[in-house]
Amino acid sequence: MTAVLEARSLAKTYETGGAKVLGLRGVDLSIERGEFVAIMGPSGSGKSTLLNLLAGLDRPTAGEVWLDGVRIDELSEAGLARLRRRKLGFVFQFFNLVPTLSAIENVELPLLLVGRTRRQARTSAAELMRDLGIPDKHDAAPAELSGGQQQRIALARALANKPAIVLADEPTGNLDSTTARGVLRLLRRARDRGQTLLLVTHDASVASTADRVITLRDGLVADETALRAARQVTPLLELEAPS
Amino acid sequence: MTGMLLKLAFAGIRTRLLASVLTVTIAAAAAATIVLGLEVRSSGVDPWERTFAAANGAHVLAYVPTRADANLIAGLPGVSDRGEPTPLLNATMTTPQRSEPIQVAAWTTGTTQVNRPVPTAGSAPGPGGIVFERSLADALGLRIGAHVSVSTPEGSAELRVRGIAISSAQARYPRSNPGLAWVTDAVLKHIEPDRGHWRWMQAVRLDDPAAAAPFAARAAARLRAAAVADSGVSLETWQQQRDSALLDVQPTQLVLTTFAILLLAVAFFVVAILVSARASQQRRVIGLLKAAGLTPRQVGAVFALESLALGLLATALGFALGAPLAPRLAAPSAETLLGSPTIAMNRWHILIASCVVLPVLLASALMSSRRSARFTVVEAIHTGDASPARSLLARAAIRPFLPMPLALGLKDLLARGRRALLLAGAITLTGAVVVIALSLKATLGAQPATEVSDVPDELPLLVYTLDAVLLVITVTTLVAVALLSVRERIRDYGIFKAIGLTPAQITSTLVGAHAALALVATLVSIPIGIVLYLGLYAAASGNTTGAVIAPWPWLALIPIGTLVLVVAAVGLPARLATRIRTAEALRFE
Repeated sequence: MTAVLEARSLAKTYETGGAKVLGLRGVDLSIERGEFVAIMGPSGSGKSTLLNLLAGLDRPTAGEVWLDGVRIDELSEAGLARLRRRKLGFVFQFFNLVPTLSAIENVELPLLLVGRTRRQARTSAAELMRDLGIPDKHDAAPAELSGGQQQRIALARALANKPAIVLADEPTGNLDSTTARGVLRLLRRARDRGQTLLLVTHDASVASTADRVITLRDGLVADETALRAARQVTPLLELEAPS
Repeated sequence: MTGMLLKLAFAGIRTRLLASVLTVTIAAAAAATIVLGLEVRSSGVDPWERTFAAANGAHVLAYVPTRADANLIAGLPGVSDRGEPTPLLNATMTTPQRSEPIQVAAWTTGTTQVNRPVPTAGSAPGPGGIVFERSLADALGLRIGAHVSVSTPEGSAELRVRGIAISSAQARYPRSNPGLAWVTDAVLKHIEPDRGHWRWMQAVRLDDPAAAAPFAARAAARLRAAAVADSGVSLETWQQQRDSALLDVQPTQLVLTTFAILLLAVAFFVVAILVSARASQQRRVIGLLKAAGLTPRQVGAVFALESLALGLLATALGFALGAPLAPRLAAPSAETLLGSPTIAMNRWHILIASCVVLPVLLASALMSSRRSARFTVVEAIHTGDASPARSLLARAAIRPFLPMPLALGLKDLLARGRRALLLAGAITLTGAVVVIALSLKATLGAQPATEVSDVPDELPLLVYTLDAVLLVITVTTLVAVALLSVRERIRDYGIFKAIGLTPAQITSTLVGAHAALALVATLVSIPIGIVLYLGLYAAASGNTTGAVIAPWPWLALIPIGTLVLVVAAVGLPARLATRIRTAEALRFE
């Protein structure tokens, strides 16, 4: 198996009120294609920082991030955006839907970005919403949806372009247990289709569903446990969205 | 509690300095325009009264066909003093450059003469000489020593300009046309030997000047009784003479009134935008205040007090700016009067300006804060976002022919529809005043070089200055709205970047949407500006003949210029916002 996502000596320092805070202090990490990896650790251990750096949402202070053979920490903002729209899907704890767009428009957005026509985007978005169990919420405003429904919309948006890697930052952290189980089931379905899944969580039961659990402490990898072998996966090219 | 509300209001002013400065600027401009409009007439009253006294002005001035008619009026009861009847006739004055119709009167001076001309330069006409009224001399460029020819069909005379004089009964040339000149009786006889073609002017002073109007009515009735045809009679009271002399400020007052209304409308829009944006930003704070026990009325009072304080400061500033400027604008009237216009500084004028400006600001603030204050405490504390716009316009925004960033930007802009509407209103009015300024320039430019304009020189300058003020205010508002929009959307920009929009695409969502809004607003502003200009022109000169609309290439510059301004005003803050790291932007609240 080949590494689809790799971090080499990744470090991040924040400046807060003139004082330097070490977020990450040299993390080495390799995620295989089709793997489901959970990142755990106490608050302030650097979980979200690591996820942001791996997704190119933030720049490291030192070290390298490689995504599918491309060093992304050196890419421009525009280059990163173009890469994200094709290869990455991101699910946030607080959903982060665009409030001025309806539910279906939120799902359509990544499809339009990769050049789908509006008709194609609308059809794909509607199919995705039906698959995720929210077929009747097309025109709803994000504020009109429950937390679970918003997270499903966020998930649909993250999966819309069938990205090679889905990154999720506490995707169930803001949901009740029943809704959380539903969201996890949907994420696992993505993994079952061969998409690589990297998930940050506080919840050990959520982490237990992963192939591998990485524990961070004080900005360093403290522990790494393989729970099961990664599944045989579909080649990456088949998963990428049409260009 | 009042102390606490005041404290909250002043804290709001201090922490939102740009919004506060913008509010004060536009309200001060509106107040200054109102004060100017009121003061400009007052500042000319003193010089007219000085001129009236120096001329031993007539309480009633009668123009009649014969000397006998003049004597009839002079003999009416109530007359305390009468001048000798003065003959006058219509003639043509010719210089090497031009021919103009003028009115020639006999030069009648003497300390007892009523309504005598007041010399300001040179001497009396004397044999072979002529004295011109000052505004006529200035307009035609006639200097002492120049030679002119004055003629009627019956005779003519070559005359030398001997002096310049003014009269409290003669308004400024060319508004009062034909202009006035004085010659000796002998010259008058030479120009028009047939006395039957002469008219007579009888000036009288009354025991009771306040009774000038009833006296004029009695005089008219007496002349009618004596079978004098109405068409040959004209009677003017001293009040009418004063109004006529000060009539030159009328176009200025008209322009000032129009601009005051436009500025107040823009002030309403701008304050509504700023207050609603602040109320929206502070929804959580409002919720906390309500949780602490403030009623919606008290929450509204915080915003009202803030606007009131800014409005009072603005009115004082407007008065301080407007009152000293008024004499400059009244200068055209002074051409026919003794001395310069004075600074009136009438305290009633600041009161009137306050009574107009403050309610506009208060209404705008209360209207905009009302919605935020109505939310339940829980809704308010749970800071809300704008919801998708569901109007037909918003649905049309996501149409296939629109590029995706523009469609996204329009959806966002229309989600805050009221703000978009207010901004469009401010842009439309500003565009309309630019159309007015360009059309005024075109009208003045279309007049033949030899024709004397009755538009005071100061008027175009005043229009251009007020245009510039409005333009600066609107552009500043645009920047403020752009900054507000950017601030409100930093988190959304983070989401866009996380999904895969490039910084350039994100910038174009904001710039494109604002540019589209501004384009529509300026296109609407052109017909509005044309209608306003024609209305102003008709109000100032009685009809629209001679009004020239700015040529289309000039008008086309308005939307083009607006687009350039919008891109400059909105582009930079949007670009800066996209530089915020995605992770940081996603944490932004």
